[in-house]
Amino acid sequence: MAQFIQVLILGLALGGVIALMGSGLSLVFGVMRIVNLAHPSLIIAGAYVAYWAFKLWGIDPIVMLPIAALILAGIGVLLYRLMFEQEAKSARYSEMTVLLTFALAMMVEGLLGAFFTNTQRVTSPDYATDAFFISDIFIPKGQLYAGIVSLVIIGGLALFLKYSRMGYAIRATTQNRDAAELLGVNVNLVSVVAFAIGIGLAGAAGALVSFVFSFFPAKQWEWIAMLMSVVVLGGMGSILGTVVAAFSLSVIAAFVGTWVGATWSTMTFFLALFVILLIRPEGLFGEKPEMA
Amino acid sequence: MRMKAFLAGAAGAAFLAGAAYAETIRIGASLPITGGLSVSGEKHKRGYELCNKLINEKGGLLGKQVELIVSDNRSDPATAINQYERFINVDKVDAVYGTFSSRLTFPVGNVLSKYNMVHPIPSGGALRIYTQGHKNLFYFQVNAAEYTGKDVVAVIKEQIAADQAPKSVAVVHADDFFANAIAAGLLGQKVIDPANDKEVADLSPGYLADAGIKIVMEEKWPEEGFNDWLNLANSIKRSGAEMIIGLTASAEEAVQLTRALKTVGAAPKLVYLSQGAQTEFIDGVGKESAEGVLIHTTWHKDVNFEGTLAGKPFNNADFVAAFEKEYGLEPDEDSAIPFAVCQGIEQAIIGAGSTDNAKMGEWLNARTKDDPVRTVLGRFSWDDVGLPEDKRHIMTQWQGGEMKFVYPTGEFEGVVQLAYPKAGF
Repeated sequence: MAQFIQVLILGLALGGVIALMGSGLSLVFGVMRIVNLAHPSLIIAGAYVAYWAFKLWGIDPIVMLPIAALILAGIGVLLYRLMFEQEAKSARYSEMTVLLTFALAMMVEGLLGAFFTNTQRVTSPDYATDAFFISDIFIPKGQLYAGIVSLVIIGGLALFLKYSRMGYAIRATTQNRDAAELLGVNVNLVSVVAFAIGIGLAGAAGALVSFVFSFFPAKQWEWIAMLMSVVVLGGMGSILGTVVAAFSLSVIAAFVGTWVGATWSTMTFFLALFVILLIRPEGLFGEKPEMA
Repeated sequence: MRMKAFLAGAAGAAFLAGAAYAETIRIGASLPITGGLSVSGEKHKRGYELCNKLINEKGGLLGKQVELIVSDNRSDPATAINQYERFINVDKVDAVYGTFSSRLTFPVGNVLSKYNMVHPIPSGGALRIYTQGHKNLFYFQVNAAEYTGKDVVAVIKEQIAADQAPKSVAVVHADDFFANAIAAGLLGQKVIDPANDKEVADLSPGYLADAGIKIVMEEKWPEEGFNDWLNLANSIKRSGAEMIIGLTASAEEAVQLTRALKTVGAAPKLVYLSQGAQTEFIDGVGKESAEGVLIHTTWHKDVNFEGTLAGKPFNNADFVAAFEKEYGLEPDEDSAIPFAVCQGIEQAIIGAGSTDNAKMGEWLNARTKDDPVRTVLGRFSWDDVGLPEDKRHIMTQWQGGEMKFVYPTGEFEGVVQLAYPKAGF
């Protein structure tokens, strides 16, 4: 029983971080139909912000999180203006963004490698490798703190989307971009804000990831498949779906890793992606695409 | 008229380019500068580039400057194959340096063999690479990875009293060419050639069984994308093993595993990792967690290996000084090994008197223990499949934040007593 509870705790702890990593990706797709393959590379950029602040000035990565989020949000505004705004009305916008963001991912990786080298990094506050021990059970402090902060941020995002005027506008744009525009929503501004929030979430996730996983620029390719699995399972565009999928898959992967074998734990994510695309392509909380 | 002038210009440019090629010796290296293997790939690049620069500063090779062409294969085997094809058929290189990792070296071996190129291998220790029947393979480390366990067990036998030695072990490893190869030797598995399913070697009962150490856990994780380190560390702790063997494919994995073992409060008597000699390891895990971790390596900055460059002595200490001057940081084995490869090829070209790869191969194959290739990794001569003769791993251990070497005893100055048992993480 202790082993069961332990594995459950580890799965949940990992799920919190993955939920935050995926939520920005989901938001950006939901509002703008941008399949942002560069999202993990921007998470890594956020991780570098937290890493260097800790290394140079000893600033805790959780304290640094808002700054990393703001810096990345600013970069998000620039990227949107430069790369996506012009093409937003294109009929093949989503398909184009796959190629655009793939190129962006490679560029970001190259830039990060040029600035920070390909050396692996990990931020090491004391709690990152510490744990609360309760009898035979341990709760890793790093992942616990990261998970709690993730849920707070995602909760704040949900409140923002539900109750603020901009939140209304973002949700309206998510549901039907053309109808929102007809009703007077400035969808271009909404898109910029939503993209900035999405990339800001990548920055925030990066600050947390910096002490949970080690990272280097090329690490993005390992994360994109995992994040796409989470977002597709949850339903592209659904933050709630992303959170549910992240926790579900992390817990299942933890049990698979323990009782089937570590080799298969990563496979859990890809298997889920495969199955959901076969039986329910819109994901758990996504909407069925309209037939043409 | 314009067309004639253009054609004449193009012909002139081609002639001049050809003349420029003739004035230089071109060497190609495909490395994983980006992608999953980029940490080591970048360091390999530095090793090759520094060596090349020093050769040119000392007057070049056979009176010519050496031009190094490095391409990024993005850690992708297919790209690495294409790049070596391009080096040979388009860039018309005179020689090549090998790539990083067994995963990339294995397929590249077929291409270089097809063109009868000398294939100096910096990092590609899986035995299967050397059983494909390729000629002119020359491995610039110690031995096939499958035999690494022999030196690990030797440390335990030589430096720990029998009644104190670990009695049980958890072996965890990446599902990777290199890590699987070390595991095969430790666990006593058969090595199978993936091309034809033939048995290459039967390593039973394995070095651990030979040493009387009971294997209480064996687990492997996928080659890429594994994040569940805490779960794995928890299983290791619960196995109650007195020794942990972590065969990681990269220093990054070694950091992740060690941090996870610390988090779960594992307390083994001895930890051996296949990676972790790099500076990133101590940076990532901290002095306290690294303390007592045993790692095999081919190179250590304090070992007095005697090499040559441009026909003159160029020892390990010279390499360390030159590297620090060039890059402003201390080298590790991921830069020292390619440097040694470059020294080997330089000596082969001088020895053969040309860049004829057949002659270079003959010269390298003719090396003996008494008349070896001399590098910053020591002396090299090879057996008939391309594995080094009579070399042992340097077993190092983190002690007080520094890498000390604890084996082989009596071969180098500066060998220290093994710190044992490990006091937690």
